[in-house]
Amino acid sequence: MKKKSHLLFLFTAVILLFTACVKDTDFNQSDDILITPAVVLDFLFFNLSSENFTNIGVNNLVVSDTTFFDLLIEDFTIDNLKKADFYFKNTNSFSIQLSTQYQFLDENNDVYYEILIPVNSGSISNPVITEHIEIIEEGNIVNLTKADKVVVNVIAPSSLDNLDGMLNLQSKTIYYLSLE
Amino acid sequence: MKYLITCVFMFWIVSLLSQNKEVLYGLEETPQAMLLNPGSRISYEYHFGVPLLSHIHVNVGSSGVSVYDIFQESSLDINTRISNKIFELENKDFFTATQQLEILNVGWKNKKDYYFSGGIYQEFDFVLYFPKDLAILAWEGNANYIGKEFDLGEINASGDLLTVYHFGVNKKINKKITVGARTKLYSSMLSFSSTSNSGTFVTIPSESGDNIYEHIVSNATINLNTSGITSLSDLDTKNQVINKLLGRSFFGGNLGIGVDLGTTYEINEKWTASASILDLGAIFHKKNIESYQVSGEYNLDGIELLFPPLGNGDSSLPYYEDLIDDIGTAFTLDTIYNSYIQMRPIKMYASVKYNFGQAIGGDKTCNCLKMGENQKYNQSIGFQYFSIIRPKGPQIAATLFYNHRFSDYFSVKATYSVDSYSYSNIGLGLITNIKMVNFYIVADNLQWYSNLAKAKSISLQFGFNIIIDKNE
Repeated sequence: MKKKSHLLFLFTAVILLFTACVKDTDFNQSDDILITPAVVLDFLFFNLSSENFTNIGVNNLVVSDTTFFDLLIEDFTIDNLKKADFYFKNTNSFSIQLSTQYQFLDENNDVYYEILIPVNSGSISNPVITEHIEIIEEGNIVNLTKADKVVVNVIAPSSLDNLDGMLNLQSKTIYYLSLE
Repeated sequence: MKYLITCVFMFWIVSLLSQNKEVLYGLEETPQAMLLNPGSRISYEYHFGVPLLSHIHVNVGSSGVSVYDIFQESSLDINTRISNKIFELENKDFFTATQQLEILNVGWKNKKDYYFSGGIYQEFDFVLYFPKDLAILAWEGNANYIGKEFDLGEINASGDLLTVYHFGVNKKINKKITVGARTKLYSSMLSFSSTSNSGTFVTIPSESGDNIYEHIVSNATINLNTSGITSLSDLDTKNQVINKLLGRSFFGGNLGIGVDLGTTYEINEKWTASASILDLGAIFHKKNIESYQVSGEYNLDGIELLFPPLGNGDSSLPYYEDLIDDIGTAFTLDTIYNSYIQMRPIKMYASVKYNFGQAIGGDKTCNCLKMGENQKYNQSIGFQYFSIIRPKGPQIAATLFYNHRFSDYFSVKATYSVDSYSYSNIGLGLITNIKMVNFYIVADNLQWYSNLAKAKSISLQFGFNIIIDKNE
């Protein structure tokens, strides 16, 4: 009798061990897992003097430069980028107002996004800071991720030939990603 | 990514536990106790493990998070729960997985009372330390962590798939002391380790003033040692991979040697102490080796435009290409084919127990419950210590246990452990000997068996042996 009770106990214990369960959980929640990092990266910077204008020609009013920026057309970026905040900090010691223009172009040079920033005039002794934040939300982000290069134009309303001064740009971008 | 997270936790559900076999240690009724202490007392003449069924052991454990913590039914969003856990866990928290399948286990006592035993088992062992900084960086990004140094040295993981051939000898050298030793030959099928890493990544306000930030990777060195892995990538079919691994399991892999040592000391009739040290050895990786090392440092502050005066048809300067090239140059990737030595994770057990209850064996009146040559009482309580040497230091467990031999054919051991996974791990071992058939089943973290999802680790081991005792 004692032996039978021991064996019954053993049998019951083994059954219990192998019938352990998982409850009060919902693994379908895995569909809701969303990783949403915000990654900040420096963007472009430059220091521009009047010589940058005059080296091209007398009374030249526009200087341009172009850089490829393939980061925007990487598959990872196209799939996961939901929003981008561009921040531009212009420090102008020229005594005239300038304009900076950022054009995002694809490989056929079609413009997919454009940012135009009027930069306030300053002085050598008192450079003026003009800040601009460009928030590109979900509706427009698809345009950004078609562009593989950025053309930067700095436009002067009048000649800088005899003007001293400097235009300094610092910029950064916060990329808001959403990874499923 | 979410599928990866889900798979990790689902795997957890089916196989949770820790490396520690606190219930099996000291269970002298089962031959597998000799694998935890080659100097344990042996009361039988022969044993044969049922091939492939004598010891089955699979585990995964986490020191800081359970499946329930993440997937519980709750009004709180799952992403919030994951986020909370990422910040709650420390870089000392770890995830482990261990699996063992005993293929063969035999033993016999010779005329001089030496007990020889040997066998083969296959083992998988994996440990990953939680890289907290990198998890925060991946989960939240760096935008809200200006000035925080993310530690790349937190990358720390290793894994091994190997076959172990072992042969041991056990001898009771006098009335009080039993000693034993076991030699092991390791045949590694697969191995990888990334444990000696360093470096930081930080985004700080620009010190040069060129741009807004500086993104700095400092003194980065990331190592990954592999053996037996890259050669598998050349194989086309699953069968080819399996055949290759089987070939390696039979001395075809990278070989290593090790030793287990153990002893049992009967202090007096009431008190018994024991200790063992396991896997004191190393694997010498010489074949199919491919190790990688990435090292370097870089300071990124964006792209500086120079506005060069270009003529019609001139191309702009390759700013972006130069940036990518600079980063590629700054970080060198070396592929290394040098052999390397990998130490096995050393495990240590120690115990002391107090025997009491019904007298059995010896000169006492009742010897109807013979469970061991010198077992004087059918009950014992005691304390056990366990530690395993891991890359970031030892993981330690302390156990209180109670052992009760109810009859010739039925014994029970109950344990209460404090370990890296929890402060309240309740374990139970059941052993039967019916005729010559020995069956054991041991499990821990029983308090979570009504809902395994809440367990951070659970152990379940079982097996069948044939035990022959001529005295019976």
